[in-house]
Amino acid sequence: MHMADALVSPGVAGVAAAVSVTLLVVSARKVKKSANENLVPLMGVMGAFVFAAQMINFTIPGTGSSGHIVGGILLGALLGPWAAFLTLASVLVVQCLIFADGGLMALGCNLLNMGVCSTLIAYPLVYRPIAGGGQKAWRIVAGAIAASIVGLELGALLVTAETELSGVTALPAKEFLGLMTSIHFFIGIGEGIATAAVLYFVRLYQPALLSGYRIEKGLGAGNYKKAALVFLGIAVVLGVAFAWIASSYPDGLEWSISKITGATDLPATGAAVAHTIASVQKSTSLLPDYESTWSGIIGCAIVVALVWVVCALFTKKHAA
Amino acid sequence: MTALEKALTEFKEVEHAAQGKSLLHSVDARAKTVVVFLYIIAVLSVGLDALQGILLFWVFPIVGCAMGGISYGEVLKKSLYTLPFIAFIGVFNPLFQREPELYVGSVAISRGWVEFVSILVRGLLSVQMVLVLIMTTGFYRVCRGLGKMKMPAVFTTQLLLVYRYIYVLVEEAIDMDRARKSRSYGRKGYSLKMWGTFVGQLLIRTVNRAQRIHLAMLSRGFSGGLPSMGSMRWRLSDTVFVAAGVLLFAACRLLDVNLIFNHMRI
Repeated sequence: MHMADALVSPGVAGVAAAVSVTLLVVSARKVKKSANENLVPLMGVMGAFVFAAQMINFTIPGTGSSGHIVGGILLGALLGPWAAFLTLASVLVVQCLIFADGGLMALGCNLLNMGVCSTLIAYPLVYRPIAGGGQKAWRIVAGAIAASIVGLELGALLVTAETELSGVTALPAKEFLGLMTSIHFFIGIGEGIATAAVLYFVRLYQPALLSGYRIEKGLGAGNYKKAALVFLGIAVVLGVAFAWIASSYPDGLEWSISKITGATDLPATGAAVAHTIASVQKSTSLLPDYESTWSGIIGCAIVVALVWVVCALFTKKHAA
Repeated sequence: MTALEKALTEFKEVEHAAQGKSLLHSVDARAKTVVVFLYIIAVLSVGLDALQGILLFWVFPIVGCAMGGISYGEVLKKSLYTLPFIAFIGVFNPLFQREPELYVGSVAISRGWVEFVSILVRGLLSVQMVLVLIMTTGFYRVCRGLGKMKMPAVFTTQLLLVYRYIYVLVEEAIDMDRARKSRSYGRKGYSLKMWGTFVGQLLIRTVNRAQRIHLAMLSRGFSGGLPSMGSMRWRLSDTVFVAAGVLLFAACRLLDVNLIFNHMRI
């Protein structure tokens, strides 16, 4: 579900980054305030654990393929929502920077889609009420599966919204949403069962882990209304901001205009200056429009190739 | 479980590259982070149908590699691994946008294919720049830079701890996997039940380790934040670096390459 930079527009990425950084700051404050001083090193090691666990695949029965977990609900059950969000966020940052898994610009989107949806929404609103204090195994299993499905479906919904609002894909929103939610329903079941398997094991061998370290303050099961209001607020802010971006962002607008009118020769660059020059050129040039596009592409390719050659020569010399 | 071993190698490669010395290595981490952000914004703001507008931006990762003394081929190879997911989303554009956009002789290339290539190029370029950033800066200094830019200390400490423990835990997981393989007589893969036990076991080991580490840290004077190694000072050259980045990206963004190369009769 890691979104790449190629799939978002700067506006959408900016709004998502603003929301997730705010939530990061809030989570950091909550963790700082907690009296549990063992939490910081535990979060560090748990992040590394999730990172490693994500790379161990399990076989999916009957299909021959394999899957892995994201770990949001698992972290929530062990650390509580705030610390879980910070931990999952740190894993996503490492994946983005070292493995280029998910873009830097799209990091805000990824934090929302994979972190917030599972740790700050699905965990407190679905897992906690179902699983309760962890006394009954079947409640943990049911909670893990239900919360994983809800978390991943919300994530899939956000991925669709972000990609569509960015104007990158030509796939209509309805089809895209259908595709994403149906895929992620099954991924959610897998994630849920795997999460339940780990939690079941922990409950059997070190049950204290399921109750000892969590900080629940502010997002506990009894805090439905407050949490719902917060997320409603975020949704409204997001909606307004997206609408504002859609109306003020020239490239997105250009894209939708060209889609509506079917015209393909709208000026490519957004800048007004370039627009005027291009139109003057169009009226004076005898060459058809498509040839001018080719010359741009070929010209750029030549420049890039030249720069590469020069750089390669320079660095070889440098090394010798 | 080659995925774990591969990840470990990748970490070590990045760390090794980041310890080099070059012009780009000496630039402040904050300056580089800001410039990479601006670059990605500039690239993403180019319209999808303007392939020629994006291509010029390809120059920057190449120059960045040369300035940082790292191999561009290596960066290109790493960025190619990220293509499949981008391609999965982008591949729908050719299906829905069928109007002709370019011609090769008499063969028309549809708008959707141009957009598809644009999406791939956007993906490659943004990934390449992030790789140049991390390979000339290192994870530690990027985090320190984020901390200096007012990211909460709890989070930057968390990032550094995770980064440090990943080595330890991935090695532990590799050991456990090797032990399991040597006892399982050729059985491949983890069934869900066994996976739960395996990962649960890793988790309990992890938590026990965290407790030992915490005690060790406390006895060495840990008080919630990690001490900084070396100073981070913003110099005039860093300001120049950011200013140059802004100017170059703006120039590339506003330039009408069609017009220029048309005049050169390419």
